[in-house]
Amino acid sequence: MKNSEIVIKTENVTKIYSDNGIPVHALRGVDLTIHKGEFTAIVGPSGSGKTTLLNIISGLDMPTEGRVWLNNKLISEMSGKELSDFRRDHIGFIFQAYNLIPVLTVEENVEYIMLLQGVPKEERHKRVVEILKEVGLEGFEHRFPTQLSGGQQQRVAIARAMVANPSLILADEPTANLDSQTGSALLDKMRELNERTGMTFVFSTHDQMIMERAKRLVVLKDGHIEKDLWKE
Amino acid sequence: MLILKIAFRNIFRQKRRSVLTALTMAGGFTLAAISIGWSDGSYNFIIDMFTRNRLGHIQIHKNGYRDRPSLYKTIPNYRQVGEKIAGVKGVEGWTPRLFAAALASVGEKTSGVQITGIDPVHENQCTRFDKKIVQGKPFQFNPNKDVIMGKGLAKILRARIGDEVVIVTQGADGSIANDIYRLVGIVETGDKMLDRTVLYMHLRDAQDLLVLPDQVHEIAVIVHHLKQVPELAKQITKVLNNPELEVAPWQVFAHSFYQAMKADQEGMWIMLFVILLVVAVGVLNTVLMSVLERQREYGLLKAIGTQPNQIVLLVLNEVNFLALGSILVGALLGTAVNYLLSHQGITLPQAFTYGGMEFKTMYTEVNARSLYLPAITILLSAWIVSFFPALKAARTDPAKAMRIH
Repeated sequence: MKNSEIVIKTENVTKIYSDNGIPVHALRGVDLTIHKGEFTAIVGPSGSGKTTLLNIISGLDMPTEGRVWLNNKLISEMSGKELSDFRRDHIGFIFQAYNLIPVLTVEENVEYIMLLQGVPKEERHKRVVEILKEVGLEGFEHRFPTQLSGGQQQRVAIARAMVANPSLILADEPTANLDSQTGSALLDKMRELNERTGMTFVFSTHDQMIMERAKRLVVLKDGHIEKDLWKE
Repeated sequence: MLILKIAFRNIFRQKRRSVLTALTMAGGFTLAAISIGWSDGSYNFIIDMFTRNRLGHIQIHKNGYRDRPSLYKTIPNYRQVGEKIAGVKGVEGWTPRLFAAALASVGEKTSGVQITGIDPVHENQCTRFDKKIVQGKPFQFNPNKDVIMGKGLAKILRARIGDEVVIVTQGADGSIANDIYRLVGIVETGDKMLDRTVLYMHLRDAQDLLVLPDQVHEIAVIVHHLKQVPELAKQITKVLNNPELEVAPWQVFAHSFYQAMKADQEGMWIMLFVILLVVAVGVLNTVLMSVLERQREYGLLKAIGTQPNQIVLLVLNEVNFLALGSILVGALLGTAVNYLLSHQGITLPQAFTYGGMEFKTMYTEVNARSLYLPAITILLSAWIVSFFPALKAARTDPAKAMRIH
């Protein structure tokens, strides 16, 4: 795995927030490299900096110090539009609260990113059908998010994250709102997709189920990497 | 396309709020449409009454007559001139007139009068003169030394139908012209000031009295459509091709009246501005609430690659859909009310006088202006107030909005 293509590289990433004028060190000099096809969990207690690291990796937030490369591109050198286009084309997001667009149907939610990318209609439809079949949501195309269970909504989020074939999927506590059975099934599905497609998954979590399935555990504590464990 | 879909469906997420906003916009539109219809209807009605009833839409005089009227500034061969005018497309009719100041006596009463010589056939056709006769009968086709006087003048002279009227004036040949006529009718032109001085006689009687054979002072022209007046005045000037004649549209020969009407219409812009403010406040409230409520969604949309300009479009389109729906409803309501009032009119509790004319029933008008001006007002106010909330939405920080921190 370590010899394969690098998807993410951080170098001395530091993030300092100001909380009512008091500086808070969320990250302290994080050096991390993630290769293509990894199924990595960033773990640690609340406030350890997991989500901040995920935000910085995805370009949603900028580090106070240090550098981040995504697919060998330095994100600090990208303009807002470039970053936005980069996220659209190379990163899939899965959030704890599903974050589907409530006024769009399952099909439209999944189709949305491809529409931004300018994928032709027929191709979009073909890929939507395929990915919904993949995540077990055939027949749910025309339902709205409010007509789905939590597990089904998270499957839609997974389908949306994967449909554009991104090189990286970032999942922030994806199982936190799900019961263990649904969460377990979804993780198995993601792991299977990772194995089959070679897509890179990076989780931020303290869910034991994810840690069990992850190939690599990056343990954060007080804003720095305490342990970096490879399970295979 | 999906951005449009999201914008459209977002309207139905807070139905009550959307309905209230739409009602504000539709109400504002309807009010503006009726006000403009009323303003234009009244304006055109007053102008039409003022011009069609008496002055005509276009007047032709000998050069200089309008500035300094004189018995000697006449239009010779007026029939030829009239026939040329009648040939212009859009002209409804023309009528020749001869004017002179005189003294009129009935019994022991004497008063200064303005003789107006008219051709009964042309005058009836153009200004429906015969319909204004409230007592007695109209002129006969041929001159018969009959006169018709204004109601006010008849009162001053205590004249009755059948009375002899002695008229003294000056002829164009310098002689003292006088003759005896018979009062056959009393007229109410609608202009009370005029009715106190006017004395109508057959054009040929007037020409004989004033020694102005085949000459008139004025040719008044009536056109089919008021809006065509300036253009038709130009065409008539071209057709006549006579540098000694002056062709003037009503906006020129009744300049003060025109200015007063224009000033009255300025009030409409104030009304539109007030509607713009009311709609703006309603829309601002709705859009701000929506944007604040949906920060998380805008954050998500940005996170997954939606460009800020697309977010701006999303917010503006939501307002556009509401505005267009409201405009449609407002247009239907406004047009229906304007149509109804353009036929039935509104009878005022008390008649008012304008330019010496009395108005009791006013009519609205169904026209394009009463639709496009409110539509522009509503869209403009909606866009102005939505733009800044839309920018705010576009500037949403995805990380903060989704409370990832």
